[in-house]
Amino acid sequence: MAEDFLKIQNVSKLYSGVQALDNVSMSIGQGEVHCLVGENGSGKSTLIKIIAGVVTPDGGEIIVRGKSYKNLRPIDSINEGIQVIYQDLSLFPNLSVAENISLNQLIEEKKKIINWKEVKNIASSVLSTIKKELDLNEKVENISIANKQLVAICRALLRNAKLIIMDEPTTAITKKEIDKLLSVILDLKESGISTLFVSHKLSEVLQIAEKVTVLRDGKKVGDYNAGELDYDTLSFYMSGKKIDHSVFDYQERADQKTLLEVKDLSKKGQFEDISFKLRPGEIVGMIGSLGSGRTEVALSLFGLNKPDSGSIYMNGEPVKINSPRKAISLGLCYLPEDRLNQGLFLKQSIQNNVVVTNLRKILTKSKLLNYSKKYEYAKMWVDELNINVPSLEIAVQALSGGNQQRVVIAKWLATDPKVFILDSPTVGIDVNSKSNIHNLIRQLAKKGIGVIMISDEVPEIVHNCNRILVMADGRIIQEVDTVDITEDKLFDLVSSNSKNSEG
Amino acid sequence: MTGTIHKSQIQKVFNQNEAYLSLIIVAYSILVTSLNPSFLSFENLLDLGKSSASMGIMAIGVFVVLLSGGIDMSFTAIAISGQYIAANVLIASGVDNIYFAFLISCLVGLSLGAVNGLIISYFKIPTFIATLGTLNVFHGILLTVVGTKAVNSAQLPDCFKKFGATNVFTVVKPEGGSYGLSIFTVIFIAVALLTWFILTYTQLGRGIYAIGGDMEAAKRSGMNVFNIQFFIYCYVGILAGIAGVLHVSLIRYSNPTYLVGSELSVIAPVVLGGTRITGGSGTVIGTILGVAMITLLNNSLILIGLSSFWQEFFTGVIVAISVSLSSYQIRKSMMI
Repeated sequence: MAEDFLKIQNVSKLYSGVQALDNVSMSIGQGEVHCLVGENGSGKSTLIKIIAGVVTPDGGEIIVRGKSYKNLRPIDSINEGIQVIYQDLSLFPNLSVAENISLNQLIEEKKKIINWKEVKNIASSVLSTIKKELDLNEKVENISIANKQLVAICRALLRNAKLIIMDEPTTAITKKEIDKLLSVILDLKESGISTLFVSHKLSEVLQIAEKVTVLRDGKKVGDYNAGELDYDTLSFYMSGKKIDHSVFDYQERADQKTLLEVKDLSKKGQFEDISFKLRPGEIVGMIGSLGSGRTEVALSLFGLNKPDSGSIYMNGEPVKINSPRKAISLGLCYLPEDRLNQGLFLKQSIQNNVVVTNLRKILTKSKLLNYSKKYEYAKMWVDELNINVPSLEIAVQALSGGNQQRVVIAKWLATDPKVFILDSPTVGIDVNSKSNIHNLIRQLAKKGIGVIMISDEVPEIVHNCNRILVMADGRIIQEVDTVDITEDKLFDLVSSNSKNSEG
Repeated sequence: MTGTIHKSQIQKVFNQNEAYLSLIIVAYSILVTSLNPSFLSFENLLDLGKSSASMGIMAIGVFVVLLSGGIDMSFTAIAISGQYIAANVLIASGVDNIYFAFLISCLVGLSLGAVNGLIISYFKIPTFIATLGTLNVFHGILLTVVGTKAVNSAQLPDCFKKFGATNVFTVVKPEGGSYGLSIFTVIFIAVALLTWFILTYTQLGRGIYAIGGDMEAAKRSGMNVFNIQFFIYCYVGILAGIAGVLHVSLIRYSNPTYLVGSELSVIAPVVLGGTRITGGSGTVIGTILGVAMITLLNNSLILIGLSSFWQEFFTGVIVAISVSLSSYQIRKSMMI
């Protein structure tokens, strides 16, 4: 086996009394594709920062190509060829692809005057080393996230990268794009460059990694060859718990009327002839890759995306939903995929976030806010949903992903909804909290709320929905009862059809 | 599929913004000329070039600040300070030399700009608040320390008047009198070219675009953000100093209460020219077109016979419409 590029030995880090990393060792071989997995708070990011030299460990040793560092500085790390691509990519949206790639090099060379030919030459030569083509003159804000990642990778390569660390690179890209990224990584591997992937999307970890290191609560659980792992064992190592494999069981009652019906809903360039029915107590899954039209349909139902044609019925009555206000008054609510920007007022307190949809209920007689009512009302919902917080005054940005999502759900339950649309409700939420959210959603259905759950994770859909709508290219290509399909079959159905969408 | 539609539409909006503006300028000129034939005369155009130079130079400065994601509200106070101090120093010292006037005005501009730059890059105060504050501080100091009495035409050193009448070339009219290409216009063009060069071909200029695009990313890539911001506000200060001298040379009168209050009429053409108010995007050409459009509008209203009070109204309307249009187009393309 090739010599290890990076060795970490017995590294520990204590953050104000919390043991973020406890005696962790790992090694990354030259040209190895290595995954680092763990739930939020398991110490993944601390470990990356230590490798990048941004955080100094309390004890332990970092050995890069045989050279031992007790105190690795950021500049040492960069000089040794370690490049971190953070989740936000740190690109300049307003500058061209070529400039984004070569800017750092020009800064390093302390060039005062820019030679645009050189800028393009640098960029295109790096792109050719990873066998990719991009429009060099296009502004970065206009290219897809996957291509932005390529730009970031090129930039890292220019700095003579030997190890590229990618922090959650697959969160926002489609299956097809993930495959593209994988092919790039294999090319890098051939030129002897190692990759460290940080992720908590298990299926991708299994697809990409050669070796997997699992962290839990700051301790290393173990190093594994990807071949010896499957989804269940990996999630067991991460969470320390067996995941709950119970499935949602929907009891159909003969007298159930249709709650929501969508007929031939179309919008040019987004979706076509969308028709389905939703009964009270059902959880209907909507699955399809990014760009399949799933989110666009949901937005139309919530009055944020006016359809060109088609009709929507609530309890058999035709309705026009032209604004979220109208949608809410009809008993619809929508949990957005982008929880942080669209679902919450991050800097506001839990209390304010919970009451915001229903201020009318907490007014005094003279139509002013009643603060004690507001507190009680928020407290009631926080208790109801078991949101475990020391105070209602804490800003929601300080909460974990799972608790944040509960706040969003509480906010909508306060409006007494009949139909709850959940767009990717467990994105970025760790395995354990995930099953808690799933249980919560099932309880809502039990109470008679009709739930539409959008997701691109096959297991999530299969375990929680009684009916599944498979979407591709803006159409519902299949509608199945969950009992009639297996995870594998659904996976094939989704991935074979996602190839046509998103270029 | 959705990605490509989205992309091409945004691209269109930004590439076409300047083309649209040029088209509007041409169409509008034709309209005004049909109402008043003297409008599209060579003489009037040269005259417009002269009278808009001072505003144009300040607009270029404002453009650079907007590009970096900031805003400067204090440049009018800097311009009037430079102008008024220069005029007074020339009178007091008896040196009647326009270069000396420029030197003083630009030095005043540079130092006041440096104050802005330091406050903004060192204390990290939002640029709007910082420069709104220094606008009043600078103007207050000028009025209390230097004086409030206007320098009238008789008192004004001759070099200003001579400079104001300097033409690069002169055409003598057959019916008597003459007109020409003013040195003002040449200075404006020189400033525009210099700014374009800095922004396009220097590391510093790309840094200005970069911090306007993403300040954090700029820091992480090892740029000296402090220096870049400091430069920007000093540069605006110097341009304001130049504009101050042009202004007094044009109207032959220096009143320390002038200019301050007209900030928005300088920011308007920059925004009209397609510079994004959130930073990172915009061109020198766009800014020049914006200045041309506003100048045209102001001048034509008088030629058409409308009171000059309508100027403010129309400036406001045109800015509101153009900004709404481009933001509508962006929104439309985003929604697909």
